[in-house]
Amino acid sequence: MTPLLALNLSASYGGKSPVLSGLSLEIGRGEILGLVGESGCGKSTLALAILRLLPVKNAYVEGSIEFNGRDLMLLSEGEMRRVRGKEIGLVLQSPMSALNPALRVGAQLEEAWRVHQRGTKDARKRDLVSALANARLPHAEEFFRRYPAQLSVGQAQRVLIAMAMLHHPALLICDEPTSSLDLVTQSDIVELFRELKTKLATSILFISHDLLSVANLCQRIAVMKDGAIVECRSTKDLFFDPQHPYTQQLLRALPAVPRFAAKAAAANS
Amino acid sequence: MKYARTVAALLLSTLVLACVFRDQLTPVGYDHQDRNIPNAFRSRQHLLGTDALGRDRLARVLEGTRVSLVLAPSAAAISTVLAILIAGTAALAGGWVERLTASGIDLFLSLPWLFLLVTVRALLPLNVSPMTSAVITFSVLGCLGWAGAARLLSAQLSWLRSRDFILLARASGCGGFRLLRRHLLPNLMPLVYAQFWISIPTFILAEANLGILGLGVSEPLPSWGSLLRELDSFSVFGWNLWQLVPLALLIAVVSCFHLLISKGEIAA
Repeated sequence: MTPLLALNLSASYGGKSPVLSGLSLEIGRGEILGLVGESGCGKSTLALAILRLLPVKNAYVEGSIEFNGRDLMLLSEGEMRRVRGKEIGLVLQSPMSALNPALRVGAQLEEAWRVHQRGTKDARKRDLVSALANARLPHAEEFFRRYPAQLSVGQAQRVLIAMAMLHHPALLICDEPTSSLDLVTQSDIVELFRELKTKLATSILFISHDLLSVANLCQRIAVMKDGAIVECRSTKDLFFDPQHPYTQQLLRALPAVPRFAAKAAAANS
Repeated sequence: MKYARTVAALLLSTLVLACVFRDQLTPVGYDHQDRNIPNAFRSRQHLLGTDALGRDRLARVLEGTRVSLVLAPSAAAISTVLAILIAGTAALAGGWVERLTASGIDLFLSLPWLFLLVTVRALLPLNVSPMTSAVITFSVLGCLGWAGAARLLSAQLSWLRSRDFILLARASGCGGFRLLRRHLLPNLMPLVYAQFWISIPTFILAEANLGILGLGVSEPLPSWGSLLRELDSFSVFGWNLWQLVPLALLIAVVSCFHLLISKGEIAA
């Protein structure tokens, strides 16, 4: 079966040394792929590169992004806009700054809906309510009328997830979705992703530097260093038999690899 | 401060009411000439006296205030909308368009404002009906007054554009003017309002300047500019203090606006 997403990318900011150098990666349909690596190794750049949003940040990208049988790099900006949000969703790291502070929750969701759909008020309401329910959020009128500042961080992250899943995209890119959350909320959100994957058969690219969350959620893990993937294997193989020196170093840095992570990896495979 | 603002609001609303009911307050229209009583002192019939042509000064002051208070906000609206469109387009396009617009705005700001106004107004027809001349004058003000606001809005937009929520809006397929209207503009509104209110007194003063030079609203329609022009024949000997009323009114209205704006700015 052809993978949902297969990419081979190089990217650099403003003519400086490349951030992504010949990075290649594949994600299968309905798969959750973890992407780990140190801060600044180009994880977020990769997330934006897949959505072709890097030019906004004055970056230069080349290579190919095979998604659902076509190369996204060849699409026009207008065609790309129809892919963003509809076929590929994005969840960002800090939910508070990712929500528009001047718009009510309801207005933001409606706006995200209107970008890709036309229809009656009832159809819109139905979709919004089901998206909020999927993200396990209240869908009372009062909640729609809140401003982002009136939400808790966990709620805000769920709103973002509901927004990203609104059009049931085939691929969801999560850029460090749990790193600004406390431990309990973190595990709730990881659980939510697992649920979404089973319920809606969405493929997820889960970018994080939190190896434990990744091990807990993903079937395969890709390890990234200096803009390239150095190792990409099933979670179990990666934890029990790390090949690359950087992966070994990463695992050694974990305080409780033998017990927690190994158990999680075993349960997942 | 709160007390001062209440007084300012009261003064402005009294003035607006007086302008609306000006026909009830004055015995004759603003353009009615009574050649028997030129330069009259105040009397029961002419509360502020008459001007050199024997026209009732109160009627002229009220009519001039009406012209300024209706057209100055319209001009402010034109310039604010232009500023939003110019700064917004530049921010959306980015790259060389943005740099070019920024240079254009700087160039525009560096031109001497009054000379620019005089030049442009002099190029446009002066031989038209009074009301048309008023509309032309204020349209010119609106069309030339956007640069300062555009500069501020550009700075705010380029800061907003780098924020995460704009990135996320792009990532959900939003783009172009939709991004400007639905995501950038709601965050820009406090600044837009402040710019709008600030440009009203600026335009009132600019029209008064043009009026003094004879390039503003044409006779017989009064405006604050032409009312002030009367003062060039003002002499300390045999003085008629009531000639100073338009000047006092102009200062009062501009100060009232500034007082009210200062509150708006603190709130924003």
